Amino acid sequence: MIAENTQTQMRKGILEYCVLSIISRGEIYASDIIAELRSAKLLVVEGTLYPLLTRLKNNGLLSYNWVESTSGPPRKYYTLTELGKEILSQLDQTWQELAYAVGISQKGANS
Amino acid sequence: MEKTIIINIGNTIIHIEESAYELLKAYLIEVKQHFANHADDLEIVTDIENRIAELLTEQLEEQKKQVVDSSNVNLVIGQMGRVQDFDSTEEQEEEEPIINTTYQHQYAEKKLYRDMDERVIAGVCAGIAHYVNTEAKWIRLAMLLIIFLGGAGILVYAILWVIMPKAKSRIEKMEMKGEPANLQGFQKNLDEELQAVKERLSEVNKHAQPLFTRFGIFIGEFFEWLGHFIGGTGKVIFKIIAGVIIIFGVLFLLSLIIGFAAFQGFWDESIYEYFPFSIVSDSNRGIILLSAFVVFFIPILALVLFSIRVAFNKQAINKTLSFALLIIWLAGVATAGYQAAKISTEFKQHAELTQTTDLKILPSYVIDIDKSKYFSKEDSVAYHINSNQKNQIVVEDFENGPFVSPNNIRININKSETGITRLTQKFESQGKTFPSALQNAQNISYAYEVKESSLIFSPRFQLRKGTIWRNQEVWLNLEVPVGTKLILKQDAYRYINNYWSWSCDNNEHDGNDYSVWIMTDEGLKCQYELNHPTENKENQ
Repeated sequence: MIAENTQTQMRKGILEYCVLSIISRGEIYASDIIAELRSAKLLVVEGTLYPLLTRLKNNGLLSYNWVESTSGPPRKYYTLTELGKEILSQLDQTWQELAYAVGISQKGANS
Repeated sequence: MEKTIIINIGNTIIHIEESAYELLKAYLIEVKQHFANHADDLEIVTDIENRIAELLTEQLEEQKKQVVDSSNVNLVIGQMGRVQDFDSTEEQEEEEPIINTTYQHQYAEKKLYRDMDERVIAGVCAGIAHYVNTEAKWIRLAMLLIIFLGGAGILVYAILWVIMPKAKSRIEKMEMKGEPANLQGFQKNLDEELQAVKERLSEVNKHAQPLFTRFGIFIGEFFEWLGHFIGGTGKVIFKIIAGVIIIFGVLFLLSLIIGFAAFQGFWDESIYEYFPFSIVSDSNRGIILLSAFVVFFIPILALVLFSIRVAFNKQAINKTLSFALLIIWLAGVATAGYQAAKISTEFKQHAELTQTTDLKILPSYVIDIDKSKYFSKEDSVAYHINSNQKNQIVVEDFENGPFVSPNNIRININKSETGITRLTQKFESQGKTFPSALQNAQNISYAYEVKESSLIFSPRFQLRKGTIWRNQEVWLNLEVPVGTKLILKQDAYRYINNYWSWSCDNNEHDGNDYSVWIMTDEGLKCQYELNHPTENKENQ
């Protein structure tokens, strides 16, 4: 239970970073984001993604375009805004620092 | 075989089996409930719905099916994830600390909301009842008591109306009732839930609403309630009024019909001898009666029909018929107007006829009025009075009889220049032409009686049978020589035209029913005044 809670916290922390990273590679549809996350074995269900996307969009990190779909109604394609890009670069840096911190913590500074 | 339902999800039309529909509906309600406290719930839910629609469409295409079944829905739910699998920490942002707190508490506490579902006016009483866990009727009874004990209850109610927020969403309703927030609770009423989710966005900051905003809401709601009242209870009142109008209108219409039939001849012909029916001549009677009937009947009929429409929400009559009625009514009005104009022309010419009689010269006369009606010979025949019984006097008291016509007589008393007592009867009448006016004047039948020194006048004149009323008048002019004493009976006072007879009713003759007058060079004088000039002045 305690481990589970920590795992959730850790996963949640990097989910947002991963989503931003995926979107930074180019305009993308929500279900494709999920497919990517799933292939990275990060996300269990789609339901988690939508609130996250909405929040990021409302915070000005993302914007979306309606793109006509061959099957069914038009889809929302997400892109990063300038703010999003800036924040992503900050997060990149933070991630480097964290990875470094984790690596150091695990193996010691001299390895 | 299974019944299918057509749903519109994410702007896509999908045929779905009923069982699958129930499954999907339950899932969507769960999802909506999960995001209900989220600031962007509408957008998130819409995204999810769109995605579900897309997934379902993809599955149908892959499986070459036309109808979604339970397995499809389960697959979708598996992909989207159950609410329990959603990252529960995602929406716990600092944006809405209060709502999140209540959410975490699972609504163990009750909150005071106005219950709009069980409201009578604004749901205040029902809300209090939920809060104190009793039935609304007791709270209402208490509120009514407070209102009747001085009226403060109205103010209390208004204040509570302002203070208590209205329980709009499902969650608030559950908070109000203190129900646990389980999913079964949310599935109680889908429509309500959908409505609540839609209204959610604007309701998020309810708890932070400043009082003046609440007051604005109160004003708005008050007028809304007023509208409901007019549309609800008010409608009942209107219907009751309409019902009363229908009853009385129908009775009035029936009496009109009966009256019409009666005038048309089923009743006594003699009605036409009475004013104002005596104005109308025989030949026009039918048409005037008919037009008068139409003029009165149709508007009342219209009123009744309108009331029926108000009371029963039903058109009692079609447009063509009502249009026809309008035409008939206009025709009736036109006819009545024409006839009225025609009758008024029959008053155009004036004619008078005088008849002079010299009376025996006596030193004094008694002037009296006999209120009994004298029957002329032809009247006697008409009324079937047996003229053979000579000792029998047939008397009709005018005072008790019906109002025949405004045909009072008027008496002028003047000084005779010739020294002869003379009575002049002047008969006047109107008519279309002079001859007809003269004819009308000749048809006046007037009777007075001279018995020794007594002059007994009838207070009224009569019109010979068949004569119509054309403003006939009778003027009596009595000329008496100077020095003649006249004893006026009290009954005669009001028929004397040129003297204010009541002024001579003096103290000396108090209790007597007559006054004594003397004809002088300056006209008629009260004898009492002549004898007691000073005293009289003092009296005055």
